[in-house]
Order: sequence, then C-alpha cells, then structure tokens
Amino acid sequence: MNLCKRAWWRLTGAPGKTLMLVGLFFVVCTLVLSGFLIRSAAARAADSAKNRVGAVATMQLDVNGLLASGKNNGSEGSGQNPGTIGSAGDLRRDLVDKICKSSVVADCNYTADGAAFPTKTTKLYQPVPVPAGQDTTGTDLFKVDGVRKLGEVSAFRNGDSKTIAGKGIGPDTKRNEIVVEERVAKENKLEIGDTVKLKIGELMPGVDTSEHEFEVIGIYKNGTADTGQYVPAMMDPANQLYTSIEGASLLGGRTTDGGGTLKSATFKLTDPQDLDRLKDDAKKAGADLQIFPISVNDKQYRTLVGPIAKTANFATVTVWLVAVAGTIILALVVASNLRERRGELGILLSLGEKKPKLLGQHLIEVVACAVIAIALAGVGSQFISEAIGNKLLAGEVESANEEAENESLPSDYSDTSGMSKQGDDQPKTDPIDSLDVHLGPSDIAKVGATGLGIAALATLVPGTRVLRLNPRDILTKGN
Amino acid sequence: MTSTPTGTHAHGGTTAPILELADVSRTYSTGSRRRVVLKSVSYIFEAGHMYAIVGPSGSGKTTLLSLASGLDAPTSGSVRFKGRDVAEVGLGTYRNRHVATVFQSLNLLTYMNAVQNVTSAMEITGVRSGSRKRRANELLGLLGIEPEDRARRTLQLSGGQQQRVAIARALACEVDILFADEPTGALDHEAAAGIIEVFQKLAHDDGKCVIVVTHSRDVAAACDKTLVLKRGKLIPQG
Repeated sequence: MNLCKRAWWRLTGAPGKTLMLVGLFFVVCTLVLSGFLIRSAAARAADSAKNRVGAVATMQLDVNGLLASGKNNGSEGSGQNPGTIGSAGDLRRDLVDKICKSSVVADCNYTADGAAFPTKTTKLYQPVPVPAGQDTTGTDLFKVDGVRKLGEVSAFRNGDSKTIAGKGIGPDTKRNEIVVEERVAKENKLEIGDTVKLKIGELMPGVDTSEHEFEVIGIYKNGTADTGQYVPAMMDPANQLYTSIEGASLLGGRTTDGGGTLKSATFKLTDPQDLDRLKDDAKKAGADLQIFPISVNDKQYRTLVGPIAKTANFATVTVWLVAVAGTIILALVVASNLRERRGELGILLSLGEKKPKLLGQHLIEVVACAVIAIALAGVGSQFISEAIGNKLLAGEVESANEEAENESLPSDYSDTSGMSKQGDDQPKTDPIDSLDVHLGPSDIAKVGATGLGIAALATLVPGTRVLRLNPRDILTKGN
Repeated sequence: MTSTPTGTHAHGGTTAPILELADVSRTYSTGSRRRVVLKSVSYIFEAGHMYAIVGPSGSGKTTLLSLASGLDAPTSGSVRFKGRDVAEVGLGTYRNRHVATVFQSLNLLTYMNAVQNVTSAMEITGVRSGSRKRRANELLGLLGIEPEDRARRTLQLSGGQQQRVAIARALACEVDILFADEPTGALDHEAAAGIIEVFQKLAHDDGKCVIVVTHSRDVAAACDKTLVLKRGKLIPQG
C-alpha cells in the first residue's frame, strides 16, 4: 500500500507531468481504439454487404472441358451436324432446377437463347425498309430469349423495358406462351390471348424448320426509340421476344427434353464463401463440373466492400504502428522521468525500499495515467474514428469508382447471356461510403489490454535501470 | 583495532558494541587511476554513545558514512552489525531495519509534505505504530516544525526546516544506529543546539548509537567521542 500511496502523492504532487503522461497515453489509446473501431465497423459492413449482395456463381458450358471429357458425340448418331456440340453439351433446365434447390443458393436464374423467322401471319417490325441489295440472311429474325423470370432480366430490372399489358414470363410459363414488344404487337395487331406463328430460326441444313404457335400472354414496352435508319431486324430491340426456356429451345432447334437447354445459369449465393458447397450440391445433382464448371463472380461484393476493406487494412497497420511508436515514445518518456527521479529513488533506496517496489510505484503511476487516458479515449474515439474512417474511406471510394469506370466488367447475375456489362445493364453497385462506428465493451477491453501492455512495457524496459541503481552514487554524486 | 566490551555509560545507559569497522578499505578507480580513500580502518562503535567524525574536506568522511550505513560496500574488510557482516545481512535489509541516515543534502521527497515524508519512511522501514501520522507529528513538533508547516510540501520549507524534517524522518524509523552528515549545517545556533540535544537523548536515554559527521567544533564537543579521519585512517581523539 505504501507504494500506491507514494504513487498517488507523486501523481497529485506533479500535476503537470501527470497531465503530460495522460495526454500522451490519450493520443496513443485514441488512435489505437480508432483503429480497432474502424476495423470492427469494416467487418460489420463486410458482413452486411455479404448478406445484401451475396455472390453470383455462373454455370455454363466449357467447350474445352467437353472435348477433354471425350463426351462430345455430336457427329455420331445424335442427329447433330459434324463440328457441332452434341447433347453432352446441353445444360438441361431440370438439372439446374435441382441445383437451385441447394441451401446455399438464395436465388437463381437462367436463360436460353434462340431466334425465330417471321411467318406470313407474324411480321418483323422494320420501320425503315431494307436498302436495295442488302443481304438479310441470318438477320431478318426475331431474337427469342428463354427466361425463368422476366422481371429478373436486366432490361426490366433497370427500367429500360416494362410490361404494359398481360403478364411476364415466370417459372410456370408454358412452352407455347410468349411476350412481345409493343411495336411488334401493333405491327401484327396483337392483343393478349392472340396467337402468333413463328418458324424455328435455325439455318443449319437438316434442322427442323417447322412453324409453332405461341399465345401472347404479355406485351412490354422497350424505351429505345427508333433510330430512323435501317437496322437489321434482329438488332432492333422491338423484335426481342421472351418466352419460356422450352419455347426458346424449341425455336432454337434444340431439344426440349428436361425442360429445355440453357445457355448458362447463375446462382446467387448467400455467402461468397459457399462456392465449394454449391459445387458439392451440383455434383450430387448429377452435374459434370468438368463440362459445366461453376465459377463465382463476387464482383458486386468486392465493389461494395473493397474500399472499406482497404480502409480496415490501413487501420490495422495504423494500430500496429501507433502501438509500437507509442510504446517507444512512452518508454523514452518514462526513462527520462526515471532519470529525473534518480534522487528520489536514491532516498527511497537509502531507506531500504526494495527495488521491485520502486518499479512497482512507477508502474502504478503509468497505469493510473493509462486508465484515465483509456477512459477518455473511449469517449472521444468514437467521433474521431468516424471522422478519420470516413475521410479515409472517401479517398478509397473515389479511387474505386475511378477504377470501376476504367474496368471492363463481367456479366452479372441477372444476365446470363455473357453480353452485358455491369456498367450498362445492372443497377450500379456503389461502394460502402460510410462507417457505422459502435464502441462496444470488447473494443474497450482490447484497447485497455493494449494500453496497459504499452504501460507495462514502457515502464519495465527502462525500469531495469532502477535495478542497477546504487543509492550511494545517487546520494553522494547527485545526478 | 579498538575493542570495547559491554559496560555502563557515564550517563547511566547500557553500552555494548553495535557496529564494527574491521580493516575497512575503500578504493575508487577512474580508468587506470586508483584512489585509496580509506585504508584499513578499524573501529568499534557502541550503543548509547554519540560519536563525532571530523576531518578535513576530502578526507573520506562521507565515504566512511556510506560504508557504515550500508549505502556502499568496502573494497576490502568488513562492516559488522552486532557481530554479523552486513554483507550477509544484506545492505538493503541493514539500511531498512537497523540504520537511518540524515544526509548533508537533506534528500527529502519533494512531492510529499513533511508529515508524508516521515510516515512514508516509517512504512518503508516497517515501523509498527498505532498511528504513524500521530508519531510523525510528535517528532516534527519536537523538532520545532509548526503544525501549519507540516502539511506543506518540503520545497516550500526553509533549509533549516527541511533539515529538521530529515532528522525527524531518521528518528521515526526507530533504528539502532543513526548517521548524520552535517546535520546542523543549515541551522542557526539555537536550532542546532536543539538538534544536538535530541541526538544526545537518543544515545544516552534510548541507548542508540549516533554517529555524526561534522565540521562543527560545537557539535563535536557535544559528542561522547570524537574520531578524526586523516589520510584514510580513523584516529580516536582525546
């Protein structure tokens, strides 16, 4: 108790020095605590982003994988033409539906592409006549996309297109149901419930080119206006039709067995770390991942958390730097104090005080200052870390946005065509640009442990000098 | 070597050998230079006596005090407390339990007030007292420190007051031997006489051994024995 009393007398007897030590500790503890808070806020934001966007895994044919597997029997009795991909390259809808039921999949989507020739009763929308001599082979077609949910198609999601009559395509849409664009509907005087006739849009010799009837269940409007110039029919957004996977497979001249064949499928994962579980579930469902590999696209997640993760990394480095620098500075200050207090140490030693107790007194003094500083840091660091964190984050967000503008992005979850880019057809994912800083007991405990560790190191390392002191030298020779 | 058996003091107190310097030498080395400060000093100090150690400046008085009070160890020879080498007892324990020193430079703890300086020393030396604070006040009062001055930090006290606080601190430790290095240097004649009286009482009435290093003839005259330190040798006078 004697040393505690002496420590108290010393702290109150030299208030200037006590304040200086508290101030120094306050700066160190505030920076360390701010670092911890930024890190934990970043971790929370990353978790939240993970839950919000998950990650998108894409499953599609890998031609090299198919060839390597030796299963490409397209030219041997499958009815396919030589050089084409056989049925082993068909990604069946029923297989993908099984994978969609995996517990790690939050949502899934898939598309099938196809084309259809106009018929006598169903004409293309061509506001500008075909220029004389223009070859229209392979372009005077409707573009037919088979989709699972029309609302998930990026053009509908981002508002470029919207259903204006009837309903869209859904998982329960029948094979012979179709949604047409307003201009095609007007051109052919179509209304909901009318029937259109379309011819299989496949030019390969030997492929069935029969006509099939589809019932118009919905009419949509695309916001892209006519250019006033000739555009090949298939390139005109007005000639875009949507139907079921089976319908698109049928018009694409492919089999409709197993619910039709897909171009690719996308799975929205609840957690980007769940890719391996998805692959396991896909294998269990019967997928050959050599032919249909699954790869994750966590671009959206990375866009969201990239800047905040960089800020968190910076905060981590700062915590370490400040902790090390703080320890060194405090050790120097304490060493300097010890030097100043040689006389006092000599007096106490001459009275027979034990050296460890002298060290203990110093430790108590420094720890007392540290405790006050930690308490003050607890009050101030929430505001400071929010200000520092947001400032740092703003810089990272700016550079992330610049990077994003310059970067060519892969296709997103909703668009399995592989044609679209995030920048033009997906709602833009903005990085997280603010920190939600909360000071919790664990943060205080961490900074408390760090602060007290620094106090102990800063006292004990220079304090070894105390153990070498000789009272006679101090008292008779002075400092 | 002088030897003194247990006996009776002229003032009636019990005398017994308490501290023995046995062939003590102390040499200091600075680089290749060696300086012999004390050379084979032998002497036995008795309880119940007050000693004065005198000698010219640089004669080694402070060194002798350091060795005898356990602040330093001799280069050769031994310092014995009640027949036991203090090196065996441990210099820290020896200082803590058996001796107290009043330094020439006062050496008070400046962040404490007078009472705290005294009670702090009592706690360190393990003085079991019902009320250390009361005892500290008694001693400070005995040495003429007014109550209002006792609560002031020592730096706010005059040199003479600081000297008396330092003496009170040494007295409070209830040790067997009291060393004092020029204890009256900062005091006026009257105050110095008061201090000497306290030391005499301590030796003659309480049976303690008081060893004073001094330049003052008056102080030396008030002591029971005077020892002269000259050229590294301790020579009893008279």
